[in-house]
Amino acid sequence: MSDSTIEVEVDHHGEHESTGIEHRKLGMWVFLSSEFLFFGALISNYLLYGGRDFDSVVPRDIYDIPFTSFSSFVLLMSSLTMVLSHDALARDDQHQARTWLFATAALGTVFLGGQVFEFTEFIEVYGMTLTTNPASSSFYLLTGFHGVHVAIGVLMLFSLFGISLRRGRLSERQGLNLELVGLYWHFVDIIWIVIFTLVYLLSAS
Amino acid sequence: MSEAHSGAHPTPRMYVKLALVLALFTAIEIALFYLEDTIGRGLARFTLIGLSFLKFIAVIGWYMHLRYEKSTLSKFFTGGFILAAALYGVVLGSFALTLAAGG
Repeated sequence: MSDSTIEVEVDHHGEHESTGIEHRKLGMWVFLSSEFLFFGALISNYLLYGGRDFDSVVPRDIYDIPFTSFSSFVLLMSSLTMVLSHDALARDDQHQARTWLFATAALGTVFLGGQVFEFTEFIEVYGMTLTTNPASSSFYLLTGFHGVHVAIGVLMLFSLFGISLRRGRLSERQGLNLELVGLYWHFVDIIWIVIFTLVYLLSAS
Repeated sequence: MSEAHSGAHPTPRMYVKLALVLALFTAIEIALFYLEDTIGRGLARFTLIGLSFLKFIAVIGWYMHLRYEKSTLSKFFTGGFILAAALYGVVLGSFALTLAAGG
């Protein structure tokens, strides 16, 4: 390749790059950036309908703030365990990387369990379903869409944990996979930070 | 070509310290929710949004390492965020104006 070539094609640990950034990593950042539009639409939808009064029960009247606060804390701490797993792998401490990876997946599962419990309570105790009113629809759509993201993240985390267990270690390529899953996981966390404040705390106060 | 930002890469101790700060912010948010009548609705809401924004920035900057990455990534990510915020700001603003006009 000549010196005058502007775009450099590098094979770095099997990963291609022409911008100085691995393509898959760049792709993940662009994907996450586009996710703002998805979540922005659903949050706006809730902000439009969540504060209105209807003849039937609305989400803001039945929120269990202490319970949701606990769930938020769990998800926040899962971001810590995720970054500790990534850091341990960067130091080639495979055992710690695997332990923190499992902890992240477990915390994500606890968060999902909390969401299932919340939805079940809302439906069975308060009779608020997806079609009760526009406020309940917007609430279930937003938090459910986020929950699906968490579920996908948990699946990816357990998959990486399984690979790590089976092969005894995560290779360099899988290290990049861990980084990408980590980016996705932190994104899910920052979206929940916004949802917790706008949808729960500000809406219920 | 963009350059990676300078600065020492965070250590596990720094990650734990940041987690403690994030947990503290969350605790303050919950306290504000219950003390809204005492400290005033406007101040409580403003502080809640401010704390949420700080948590948002902290996770992106340190846990997602964006402040240590090449500026290209920052541009993509913040560009998407600003685009979405502007788009939905306009949408919500237009709805608010319609409602204010009795629409």
